[in-house]
Amino acid sequence: MRYLLAVTALAAIASTAATAAGPQLTPAQRDATHAMFEHIINTPTVIGRHKVPEMAQFVADQFKAGGFPAEDVHVIPYHTGSATTGDDDTAAVIVRWRAPGNPKAKPILLMGHMDVVEAKREDSTTDPFVMTERDGYYYGRGTIDMKDGITAITQSMINLRAAGFKPKRDIVVLFTGDEETNGIGARKGATEWLDMLGHPEFGLNADGGGGGFNPDGSPAGFLMQTAEKTFAGYTFTVRNRGGHSSKPRKDNAIYSLAHALERLEAYRFTPKLNETTRAYFTARQKTEKGPLGDAMRRWLANPNDGEAADIIEASESEVGLTRTRCVPTRLFGGHADNALPQLATAMINCRIFPGEDPNDVKAELEKVAADPTVVVTRNDDYVASLGSPLRADVTGAYTRAVQALHPGVPISPEMSTGASDARPFRVAGIPVYGVNGAWVQVPTDFRAHGKDERIPIQSLYDNVVHWQLMLKDLTGK
Amino acid sequence: MRRIAALMLALSSTVALAATDPRMVPTQLPAAWQAKTRELFKQAIEIPSVHHRGMTPKVAELLADQFRKAGIPDSDIHIMPYEALPGDQTAALIVRWRSPHATKKPMLILGHMDVVEAKREDWKYDPFVFREEGGYFLGRGSSDMKNGDVATTMAAVKLISQGFKPNRDIIFFYSGDEETRGVGATLGSTKWRNLTDAEFGLNADGGGASYDRNFKPLGFGISMAEKTFQTYFFTTRNRGGHSSRPRPDNAIYDLADALEKLRTHRFQPMQNEITRGYYEERARQEGNSPLGQSIRAWLANPKDGAAADAIEANPLEVGLTRTRCVATMLKGGHADNALPQMAQATVNCRIFPGVQPKDVQAELQSVVGPNVEITPDPEYIGVPTPASPPRPDVINAVKAASLRFHGPDMHVFPVMSTGASDGSFFRAQGIPVYDVDGSWGISPDDERAHGLDERTPVRSMYDDVLHWEMIMKALAG
Repeated sequence: MRYLLAVTALAAIASTAATAAGPQLTPAQRDATHAMFEHIINTPTVIGRHKVPEMAQFVADQFKAGGFPAEDVHVIPYHTGSATTGDDDTAAVIVRWRAPGNPKAKPILLMGHMDVVEAKREDSTTDPFVMTERDGYYYGRGTIDMKDGITAITQSMINLRAAGFKPKRDIVVLFTGDEETNGIGARKGATEWLDMLGHPEFGLNADGGGGGFNPDGSPAGFLMQTAEKTFAGYTFTVRNRGGHSSKPRKDNAIYSLAHALERLEAYRFTPKLNETTRAYFTARQKTEKGPLGDAMRRWLANPNDGEAADIIEASESEVGLTRTRCVPTRLFGGHADNALPQLATAMINCRIFPGEDPNDVKAELEKVAADPTVVVTRNDDYVASLGSPLRADVTGAYTRAVQALHPGVPISPEMSTGASDARPFRVAGIPVYGVNGAWVQVPTDFRAHGKDERIPIQSLYDNVVHWQLMLKDLTGK
Repeated sequence: MRRIAALMLALSSTVALAATDPRMVPTQLPAAWQAKTRELFKQAIEIPSVHHRGMTPKVAELLADQFRKAGIPDSDIHIMPYEALPGDQTAALIVRWRSPHATKKPMLILGHMDVVEAKREDWKYDPFVFREEGGYFLGRGSSDMKNGDVATTMAAVKLISQGFKPNRDIIFFYSGDEETRGVGATLGSTKWRNLTDAEFGLNADGGGASYDRNFKPLGFGISMAEKTFQTYFFTTRNRGGHSSRPRPDNAIYDLADALEKLRTHRFQPMQNEITRGYYEERARQEGNSPLGQSIRAWLANPKDGAAADAIEANPLEVGLTRTRCVATMLKGGHADNALPQMAQATVNCRIFPGVQPKDVQAELQSVVGPNVEITPDPEYIGVPTPASPPRPDVINAVKAASLRFHGPDMHVFPVMSTGASDGSFFRAQGIPVYDVDGSWGISPDDERAHGLDERTPVRSMYDDVLHWEMIMKALAG
């Protein structure tokens, strides 16, 4: 689940062209990157197609061919499934690049996921599972979510090893196979596979971060994901004794539910700021003139200025960043067209501000519904997601890598409104930072989960360099 | 679709004399005929003629056997197989009891052999095992309407055995999908019309007398009109998106808003010859109660909307003063974490006789506004049916039978049914239909059609044979 850039314009610092020449790959490294990327894009790792294990084996083989010892490269098959997604046999890849001697620091975890969201041939201009090159882009499902990151992590480690680099702490890789659906791989990673991962100190997730450039070539900015909202599902259930539809009554499960949904539509949770969003809005307001920028400045000056927060939340670019949000996503009700409904339900999808307890949100939803016949229940047992503290070493390494490739580009932390594999690690006390280095043109390239997903050709190669720079920075000293 | 007693009045009070429990009064049906009736009823109940179980043709064979054994030639007994719901193989039974010297056009007697689903785990006893207990026969179909099938068949068998010669052909038409699609009645009133054409029809799937819990007679309603059944789908559409970024435009909220408007909308009150007759009787019963006063005011001035609203708001009278529509089913959305691209409510309407469904659709559209798409259910297009003109011969025959079984305090009066039955298809094709079954029960305790532990008083079953015997002799003798 990729969120490249919530922002549309982070900076006015003019005109570092997206194609500016920073450090570059050698022609041989480019060819190897291209070949790996094309192979995995052409492997349709959609749930139900049973292709993740094949891709996992291919990626593992790349590491082994790059000189990583077989005993440190593992393909771990596992099962994923749920009532809504169906079942599949999938797999994870775990690679451990051991530091020589007795490293003092705990390992660093590099994360990504190999599965992709479904893409239908008839919905796409060209076959989404045949990588196509045109207009300066690589097209295909997974090009930015996130086989670019899988390729960059794998190829950067192979390149560094070939160049004789020796990390001073272990680098462990976890590529999961069901991030887009059930997240079972990440949950296992944060629990039963944690020994194999060497109990890392923190994680770097390629499924977050990244940068954007405006159509005129000016930078929109790069973001480092340091927090994400808690994904939690709730159900509104209304039961009724029902009856014959020829004799309608005032009490009606569907009408009670509709009324509760109307109340939910009008309700707004209390606005909140945390370290990440404060840093984000501080950077954001610098370039935002006009009423939106004014509202950001007012809110930063006075976090109790709810009206200012409401203006920010109402902006399409900032929605979800100022507070918990809940929205109905599915409806079910009734059992026959000629019977009064005995049951009506709505699925309510919430994205909860980091640190808030999903049980408290349940209590708040009960107050919103304000009707004892509307029963609110939780659909999952997710616990509160936590923000990851801003670390000087990670922030520094990310900033230096971005600046080496794109001098002068503004950088800010961000809170993601989506859920990713990072959550179970954050909950287990392992901070995770979304620090990918790919960039796109905004907003036309925001096509994750959408039609004709694509990545600028240069961005793919820059990302390999970006990961090399970060890994050297974080493990070379 | 059986509606015993449109009235469920808990009549104001005046329990005059200590009334007799009608269940304790011995039936006049001779013991030998009781035994035959009971045996046929048992066999019919124990065939689970629920849709898709393929058992309805067995009921047709069972009834056909009775006619055959009584002496009706095979050439006048037709079992007509057909498909109702997709994949539901069912059958209708058409039997013609010929008059040796007909002086009048044929008379049609209607019933249906299918029953509504009943689950073993929901019932106290197996719904498809016939039981006699506490003065009742129990089992699915015991009141809707294998009692009517058995009574009409057994009355004919008894009359034949007595040498009765009708002066008009009596045609028995039993359909196999009244509870689902009404395909049998559609075919019976059109394609099979050469077998069913008649001057008028008597439907055993309605009518009947009832008593309150103090055994006070509530009345014998003859249904002569019925509302048109039409289901509509309310659909809202949206471009959807990711649920982490809710927008003001939302298909579920749009639908909830439409349902709130539907909930408060009321159609124009209306009267016809049948409902006026019904309300004249009700005014007499209600006396000077507030409901009685409203009824008298409305009868005096049909434009008195406030009086009509007061009547409609009474649980006993719901649906009798106008068209009613109610939401019965809901669906919407496609994933828990996606904004809905579609939401849909099923809205079931019971349209006042004479009102065109397309005008109801237009009115609903103006209520909910242009953003909601309204379409009629293509599976069942309701055909408006005229009220059947009150026939003195039919009414007098019913009055005579009611007097015999229930005494002079049981008033016979016309009613409009709010449900749809097989009768509507014949009315729509020009054959007036009157619901005149002679079953009776205690209101509301015995109103269990479609519900749990369905039952009919033992004496009611036996009386019904005598009732139909009287009706046939009166109208065809």
